[in-house]
Amino acid sequence: MSNAIEVKNLTYYYSEGTPNQVAAIKNVNLAIEKGTMVGIIGHTGSGKSTLISHFNGLLKPAEGNVFVDGEDIWQSKETLRGSRFKVGLCFQYPEYQLFEETVFADISFGPKNMKLSPEEVRERVLEAAEFTGLRKEMLDKSPFDLSGGEKRRAAIAGVMAMKPQTLVFDEPAAGLDPSGRKELIKLIQNYREKTGCTVVIVSHSMEDIARVAERVIVVNDGEIAADGTVDEVYSHSDELRKMGLNVPEITQIFSKLHDMGYDVPGNVYSVEKGAEIILNLIGRGCR
Amino acid sequence: MVRDITFGQYYPGKSVLHRMDPRMKLAATFGMIIVIFICKSFPALGLMTLFTLVAALLSTVPLKMILKSIKPVLIILIFTAVLNVFYSKGGQTYFSWWKIEVTEKGVNTAVFTVIRIIALVVLSSLLTYTTTPTMLTDALERLLSPLKVFHIKVHTLAMMMTLALRFIPTLIEEIDRIMNAQKARGADLETGGILQRAKALIPIFIPLMVSSFRRAYELALAMTCRCYTGGEGRTRMKQMKLAGRDIACLVICLIVLAGVITLNIFFKKVI
Repeated sequence: MSNAIEVKNLTYYYSEGTPNQVAAIKNVNLAIEKGTMVGIIGHTGSGKSTLISHFNGLLKPAEGNVFVDGEDIWQSKETLRGSRFKVGLCFQYPEYQLFEETVFADISFGPKNMKLSPEEVRERVLEAAEFTGLRKEMLDKSPFDLSGGEKRRAAIAGVMAMKPQTLVFDEPAAGLDPSGRKELIKLIQNYREKTGCTVVIVSHSMEDIARVAERVIVVNDGEIAADGTVDEVYSHSDELRKMGLNVPEITQIFSKLHDMGYDVPGNVYSVEKGAEIILNLIGRGCR
Repeated sequence: MVRDITFGQYYPGKSVLHRMDPRMKLAATFGMIIVIFICKSFPALGLMTLFTLVAALLSTVPLKMILKSIKPVLIILIFTAVLNVFYSKGGQTYFSWWKIEVTEKGVNTAVFTVIRIIALVVLSSLLTYTTTPTMLTDALERLLSPLKVFHIKVHTLAMMMTLALRFIPTLIEEIDRIMNAQKARGADLETGGILQRAKALIPIFIPLMVSSFRRAYELALAMTCRCYTGGEGRTRMKQMKLAGRDIACLVICLIVLAGVITLNIFFKKVI
């Protein structure tokens, strides 16, 4: 089976041909299998957003190739355009892309560009709206009258309505409060369970990534610094710290406890799980 | 695509032109542009071209960048050249067919005008290549300060200009971002007729407008919070001082002006 996204020897420069030329991506090789949930983490300016902009051909690599569904996307105009529908990219602060008069019209922008029939478009919009928790009466409102969180969800619905095989989110929870973050991550998880599509989440929050991703790719300075399961990657906390990343606090506490000889695992990534383990431990001690 | 706009972009460097006092640079550029229009004969224009070339060499800005600045006016150049070739008549006829005639005068005027426009564009882009926008507006504010006598708020005007210039790269970045977001939703910006393409811009301009207004309000608030009240009593971090090279520039400009006037008198007028 072909990979959802495959990147071979990808190199990209910023301001190519001027004295300010900088290599943003340096000879990156990467394959994302179908149906997986991958997290990409990296410090601000590490090149993670630049990397994902190659996934649907928004940026043209200076060197190397990008394959979507086994097809080189820069082969022809059709494959390039096809990649836009196969890989749905949801940028950071997607609420700034809203423009239509009503939320309904805005969500239908993508499906309409796919030249679907009006009925199909309508169906998809309603489905995406339901999924992102937008109530029916909201669909007739102007997107500019929604609250911040609702705007974000409307924008995400706009990408989901295209039903891409792969969904890429760039910092989907940026600027949301903790409960909003959790809700959104949950929403993405649910969506994936329901549709079985490939999901890539870019974030600098190691906690969010640990909660959902099966595989973690660490990008540092335009290169892939680590690639593996959450446990594998997060066990190198010292190296991560050197790249300006921090493993979640709860993980730090548990690995210390583990080192001190307590009977706890060293790989705990969420407070809920941690609380459970500690309660268990105390419970046992009392007995 | 949007990033390709080079007109009015600073090119970092340490040349004499970069180090010159921006007030002198601004005044000199303005003056020399007028001198370009004083040129009436080919030798005078030649002197002006020489001046432009020397300035371009001194700036250490690569030739490629300078040529890029001419690109946007290419259509105007071709248009004026064609119009001049056919419309000004006189002297020897090189070519004639039906009512169309190409004469010596026509060709001369066309060449003259084209060189003139190129010199004009190159000179003004040299100014923006070697001067940061903030320095430029600062210089403008200082040069216009005598207008305060007429109750014109020079500082406010300069501040508005600084802000406008400051936000050009931000807006370009923003357009880029919005374009990418809409392209990711399958927006097609490259194909179709004019009407279709104009329509395709709506999804870009509406979010751009919305965020520009938001930015403007935020900026106004931030400025108020820092007690900005206008130009009264403000001092500068970077004081401008005229140096030897600025005086030298002034002298050279005056010599060129004198040269142009002399050459105009002694040689045949083209325009």
